[in-house]
Amino acid sequence: MLEVRNVYKLYSSIPAVEAVSFTARAGEITGYLGANGSGKSTTMKMITGLIEPTSGQIFFDGHRIADDLMTFRQRMGYVPEEPHLYTHLSGMEYLVMVSQLRNMDRKSALERIHGLLRLFGLHGDRDVSISSYSKGMRQKILLSAALMHNPDLILLDEPFSGLDVGSSLILRSLIEELAARGKVVLFSSHELETVERICSHIVILHRGKIVADDSIERLRTLMALPTLEGIFSQLAVEQDSVAISREIADLIHA
Amino acid sequence: MHNDWAVRKLQFRVLYRVFFMRVIDLELLSTDADPTRLFGQFATIFTSISFFFSLPIILLGGGHMPMASRWTAEHFFIETTMTVAGLIAVLNWDSAFPDRRDVLVLAPLPVRASTLLLAKISALFAAPGLAMIALNLFIGLAWPLVFISDDAGFLGALRSWPAYWVTLLAAGGFFVFTLLAVQGLAANLLPRQLFLRLSAFVQAGALCLLLSVYFLEPSLESPAALTAPENQRLLAWLPSYWFLGLFQQLNGSMHPALAPLARRAWIGLAVSVIGAVAALLLSYFRMLPKVVEQPDILPGARTVTWAPGFGSSLKSAITLFSLRTLLRSRQHRMILSFYLGIGLAIVVGYIKTPFAGVTSTNSGISTVFLLASILMMILTILAIRVVASIPISLRTNWILRVTQVRPARHYQRAVRFSWLALGVAPVLFLLAGAFLAAYPWRQVLGHLVTMLLLGLLLIELCLYTFQKIPFACSYLPGKANIHFAFWAFLLFFIRWLKDGATFEGRMLNDLLSGMLMILFLAIAAAGVRWLTEVGGSSAGELLFEEENAAEIIALKLS
Repeated sequence: MLEVRNVYKLYSSIPAVEAVSFTARAGEITGYLGANGSGKSTTMKMITGLIEPTSGQIFFDGHRIADDLMTFRQRMGYVPEEPHLYTHLSGMEYLVMVSQLRNMDRKSALERIHGLLRLFGLHGDRDVSISSYSKGMRQKILLSAALMHNPDLILLDEPFSGLDVGSSLILRSLIEELAARGKVVLFSSHELETVERICSHIVILHRGKIVADDSIERLRTLMALPTLEGIFSQLAVEQDSVAISREIADLIHA
Repeated sequence: MHNDWAVRKLQFRVLYRVFFMRVIDLELLSTDADPTRLFGQFATIFTSISFFFSLPIILLGGGHMPMASRWTAEHFFIETTMTVAGLIAVLNWDSAFPDRRDVLVLAPLPVRASTLLLAKISALFAAPGLAMIALNLFIGLAWPLVFISDDAGFLGALRSWPAYWVTLLAAGGFFVFTLLAVQGLAANLLPRQLFLRLSAFVQAGALCLLLSVYFLEPSLESPAALTAPENQRLLAWLPSYWFLGLFQQLNGSMHPALAPLARRAWIGLAVSVIGAVAALLLSYFRMLPKVVEQPDILPGARTVTWAPGFGSSLKSAITLFSLRTLLRSRQHRMILSFYLGIGLAIVVGYIKTPFAGVTSTNSGISTVFLLASILMMILTILAIRVVASIPISLRTNWILRVTQVRPARHYQRAVRFSWLALGVAPVLFLLAGAFLAAYPWRQVLGHLVTMLLLGLLLIELCLYTFQKIPFACSYLPGKANIHFAFWAFLLFFIRWLKDGATFEGRMLNDLLSGMLMILFLAIAAAGVRWLTEVGGSSAGELLFEEENAAEIIALKLS
């Protein structure tokens, strides 16, 4: 179980994340939603240990992650929002390097890498430089790197970015399958339809603060709104989208 | 009309600034880094060199200088300025012509190709131009006073300054224009993918050629040497002598022996300018569509994955990552070649001079070879240390952070191994190949063990301040001052090393002395390694982001 307790992150005294607390349980898919700049990726980075919280604590299976970050990293898989990869390496070389950095057994790592590349449809391009990969292919490499060591906690920040329809369907089923096998899945996305379909529990962030933390069914009932889009618009979208689009059109027309 | 001109002027200024700043890849620098500081550092180096060379004139006055010495000085300044301009143009190679990023960003904008071209050319010439000015800031004021011919009057004396500056700019410009012409020609004649692949080799070749010519060209600064029939073919291929002729022609002090060289300088300059302008025009109006239509890298080009194991998985990961970066990143390869090339060229040049006082001995390995191998080992390790501190892609190092499942000292061991494998081992193989054919195996073995221990010692010294993963952590210009240490080493320690080489030669002649020397080096290497290990154990985490020292960090009170 992942537990985020009263976490703050300040940048030059400006809060990016304020008093964030939530729990993501094993076997559940927790959707982490928010508009751009709401603090989603900052929270993800704090959970991975890439940045330190200004205050507050993060626990995984009852242990404070900061106490033993290295053991925690062995149990975590992370897909970042931006597909930054070493483009001078081939897909195969990159994945082998990640397996070596994770101290995986060479033989089983190679078996898993070949298997993942085959299942993601990248095996034919495994020895081609990543610089010539499309965005979707890079996303598949990120997913392979995040999953190959069979992590207990899976952090997915916009994992569907750049994927085609077929790959998106596979990933959606994969996330559900991983949760069913007892993994903790924290999943951030702007695709509300997908979130609504696969997440059992959602956390909505607005301007760095949590404005909702519950199951989708309960939120629907409480707010008397039929869809997640309606709930999200009410909680996390301040502007009147129609009025703004009209203003933009007026502005460029002037 | 006026408005259109103002818009184009503004566009030019914006583009010029963007292209000029691209001399440094800003994405590689630490968030604390100030790119203008780098320019400042380079300008300071060149200005300091200029001041250093002007000191004798400033302190002692010009006075009368014999013709031969005057010609030597004139040629030295012209040749040095040309080489500096050429080197900067070579290092600027990738920004000479618009790449895919330029085209994709700028093509949808209402910017004329001519504005783009003008901004690019201006930015391209700004860096070598500023370097030439900085290098001659004091030299160009003081030395023209010495270069005045004996029979020149007051007007003749005044003529010396513009003659000097025009010659320098023409000489530096000649190299820059020639490089542009060669690159432009290749870009237009070859298919784009082939050009991109060959371009890296042409760039490295140009770098080697510039350095080799600068350090190895013979000294011909006398009327007798310049008129000797056996030297005429050589002179036809040495542009620095052409511009010596040009300077004397502009200065009004031309010796008849230099007249053909001056003519060659004018012709060479004209051809290079025409070639560069033609290449640039062709590139901008013919190559731009090709850049968009043809991808930079052909997909599907199958390569074989070569992944040997090097002991632990971490050692394999770090060593292979370093090797692949050095082999595939043009920027890193260029920096490594630059340091190794310039270092070795200085060494070769130095060993040739009588000042070095290096002589071969009849018994045992030649002192010249010993000195050369010591220098080769030191320069290789220092060059690797310099290049390893420059990241290949800073935003990508998140994967190394989230996969750090071992303490920092394990990484330090892996880095040590990678530097041994990529720096020390190749040098030892090279030395073994060169020495075993010529000298008794026992002495060669003794020398190789000495070199191995020297390599280990140097690696430990370099690792002492390197809590990083090579090619992956941010670079804060000026913090480690490693570049300055490198050049300071070259300038000040070569003579001591010659004594070291002589000492080693003496020790290797006797088995017991040789063993004692090796034992002493082994103890020194073990001692420094212990210090590095202690430092590595105390540091829990790797240093991914370089920061300025605490006392100069802004308080950030806002």
